[in-house]
Amino acid sequence: MNTAIGRRLLLSALLLTVSSAVTAQVRIVQTNSQGDNIHLIDPATNTIAGEIKGVPINHGAAALPDGSLFFFSSEAEQTLHVVDGKSLQTTKKIPLTGRPNNISISKDGARVYVGIVSSPGAVDVIDTKTLERVKSIPMKGGIHNVYVTPDGKYLVAGSIAGRLMTVVDQKTDEPLWTLFEEGVRPMTFEVNPDGSTRRIFVQLSEVHGFAIVDFHQRKEVGRITLPNDVPAEKVDKGPFNASPSHGIGVAPDGKTLWVTSRPNARVYTYSLPDLRLLPNPVDLGGRPDWVTFTPDSKLIYITTENTDLVHAIDVASRKEVAQIKVGKSPKRNITAVIR
Amino acid sequence: MRWLFPFLAAVALTIAVMTAAPRAAAPEDELPEGEGKKILVASCTSCHDLSEVTKFRGYYDRSQWRDIVVTMMDYGALVNEKQVDVLADYLAEHLGKP
Repeated sequence: MNTAIGRRLLLSALLLTVSSAVTAQVRIVQTNSQGDNIHLIDPATNTIAGEIKGVPINHGAAALPDGSLFFFSSEAEQTLHVVDGKSLQTTKKIPLTGRPNNISISKDGARVYVGIVSSPGAVDVIDTKTLERVKSIPMKGGIHNVYVTPDGKYLVAGSIAGRLMTVVDQKTDEPLWTLFEEGVRPMTFEVNPDGSTRRIFVQLSEVHGFAIVDFHQRKEVGRITLPNDVPAEKVDKGPFNASPSHGIGVAPDGKTLWVTSRPNARVYTYSLPDLRLLPNPVDLGGRPDWVTFTPDSKLIYITTENTDLVHAIDVASRKEVAQIKVGKSPKRNITAVIR
Repeated sequence: MRWLFPFLAAVALTIAVMTAAPRAAAPEDELPEGEGKKILVASCTSCHDLSEVTKFRGYYDRSQWRDIVVTMMDYGALVNEKQVDVLADYLAEHLGKP
């Protein structure tokens, strides 16, 4: 009897898993930093599958784990827009304590964290159930980017003005440690087999490359400069917002690290964990910015903000497979799974 | 009559040039002259295009523009204390909330 019930339960669980896998849709959510619209790209076809309108000068993007709600920070309105995942309409605008920059969401989807770049700097905390701001965590310096570590245990906030990276305990919202005396730009995380954070790869102001931070030791353990492998006459002279390398990501399978170069208009790939530069950097024909991957690690999407394009690149072959025209000056992007 | 073809060609060329799409105005071209513009061009364009400023046209009041100027100084923009209010006034007047 128990065996029969066990089999039925197992079958039900299996059907549920298969069913949700079949119905799940992956979308690349692409913000447009000089527009009021956001594009949703279907990675199965590399075409625009939806458009969200009315979020002026949108900066950061986040989505609930089931994709039922999207969140976007609007620098122009200094609000967090809540957008329904099906209708793609804004259902609420949540006032923030200052001008927002990038945002992220907790692993359980309960909280959205909004970097506030206005002085003195903060991370606003939004409850995704009540859709209210419940807290503002004070920071030293305006916050440009805020991340949640892959295990969900820490926030990591980067400040350009404050010239430091701050690691915060996600349970207590208390800062634990800081690093750097340089403007902190985008970053990405490498995890240990147990899911805890092993290293953070951090881009810094005026650095054409990235710093390597050992999370356990709480210190920088190395720095890698991107190659100068483009003929001088083809090197873009900028300006680059004091950030020649501004786009970095570890593939979900943890096997490669991708780093963009604005002067070289390329993306470089390093193998992990050995950080060996792989051959065949991909030419992008514009100033690259942010990167995001499909969950299966097969494709990476990279924006070039001065050409209004998103480039879809096959991770295994490091070949571009599509260019998708989006809005004005595309920058931040995320991958959302809609169930 | 031999003059007719060159004449018509010249007229067609003139019309084509005059009706061609105008060059997209650079953001600095759209802004009126003034002390604030001098500061804006001198202190901002070493790091980014002015479209990063003009994209906020119509959204911010003076205190919000001042906040941006101060943030950019924190980022390293070469604006001195005396220039902060000149620039904030200029941005509020020409790019501020209606």
